[in-house]
Amino acid sequence: MDGIHDVGGKLGFGPIKVTHDDAAFGQAWEGRMLGIARAISRPKDWNSDKFRHTRELEDPVLYLTRPYFDQWYKAYACMLVGAGVVTVAELAAGKSDGSRPKELPQPMPAETVAKAKQGGAQFERPYDEAPAYKIGDRVRASLISPTGHCRLPAYVRGHFGEVVDYYGAHVVADAAAHNEVKLEPLYSVRFLISDLFPERTGAADRVCLDLWESHLDDGD
Amino acid sequence: MKEYDATMAERLHPEIHSHVPSEPALRVKALETLLVEKELLDSAAVDAWVEVYSDEIGPKTGAGVVARAWCDDGFRTRLLDDGTAALKEIGISGWALGHLKAVANTDTVHNLVVCTLCSCYPHGLLGIQPSWYKLEAYRSRAVRDPRGVLAEFGVTLPESIGVDVWDSTAEVRYLVLPQRPAGTEDLDEAQLAALVTRNSMIGTERDLPIDAGGS
Repeated sequence: MDGIHDVGGKLGFGPIKVTHDDAAFGQAWEGRMLGIARAISRPKDWNSDKFRHTRELEDPVLYLTRPYFDQWYKAYACMLVGAGVVTVAELAAGKSDGSRPKELPQPMPAETVAKAKQGGAQFERPYDEAPAYKIGDRVRASLISPTGHCRLPAYVRGHFGEVVDYYGAHVVADAAAHNEVKLEPLYSVRFLISDLFPERTGAADRVCLDLWESHLDDGD
Repeated sequence: MKEYDATMAERLHPEIHSHVPSEPALRVKALETLLVEKELLDSAAVDAWVEVYSDEIGPKTGAGVVARAWCDDGFRTRLLDDGTAALKEIGISGWALGHLKAVANTDTVHNLVVCTLCSCYPHGLLGIQPSWYKLEAYRSRAVRDPRGVLAEFGVTLPESIGVDVWDSTAEVRYLVLPQRPAGTEDLDEAQLAALVTRNSMIGTERDLPIDAGGS
């Protein structure tokens, strides 16, 4: 969706607050929030795409001003209320009214964290069809602006690039955020930054994005 | 329980905002207390995750991988060919490492990693993202003016070095393989790993100083 999160190429955000050796968590509550996100007993249909999309739906002013892990809090709060697991009143009080959805599993015990931390989910799946593009092909990023979750950033839409890598078929994030299971070939597509932004004319710098087949059109 | 519904999320954001405690620390505390009461969360597991990310998983893991690649050409080739498989070979797996792509700096190429749409990051190798990586100033400009961004980090690149920016738009995660500094021929792998900084593995640092800790 054309939301506040899609900031690639936008100007006016000011200088970068450069740091070199940050602690993992600036404040204790940030660590608690990450731990909650990792350890919570969650509905089966949740995935990281729904989490990202929920965060994108935050009020734009809050999106730009609230601390990162506070935005995690908001996304989890929304998803929990949306699933009917907790109520807004319970979140406000920090107290349970007693009900608990029976279908949710028992929470992750501390002993299993050592194993869970090794998990790195795989998103590639077997796929019978031939990919539409091959390495070296010229392609055009589709000029689309879907209302739902979309991992094709606005700054490349309509621009021409070159396929430089093929990763096999991956679960499509745009569909997974909306309860749909879809597979599509995933490509690394390289764009010349000077093609995307007029003031960069002459510079040889490039940007590569990982894009699904439905993000691309033929480049002729 | 109800299926996920994005339209509901859009309506719930303002409603939740107007009801929950105004301080993030209090909101998060209330959430933890509530979930524990509902038997949906074990606080000891939250403690364990905090400990893992505070003390164990962090840039040192990535630095070890870089040092290994500097010392072992075969490993370097395999790492650049299939990052996830090469990591498994040395016993490293973890969060967001299901599809790892290592990209090597050379005399003519400098690599820079960003996630313009959120803050995707190779957590299992580098830990929690630095604050600047998550903020809009970096996310917006890294793809438009990478040289200007690098200059803010103190890296000035001559025109003879091209910049390749990697925007993490899918589930592929990136590790920049910095160049091995000259004059480090006598250092062993552990001493080399001590030279590798977090920012160099994201690409916001380029020439690693050799007096950082190798001797």
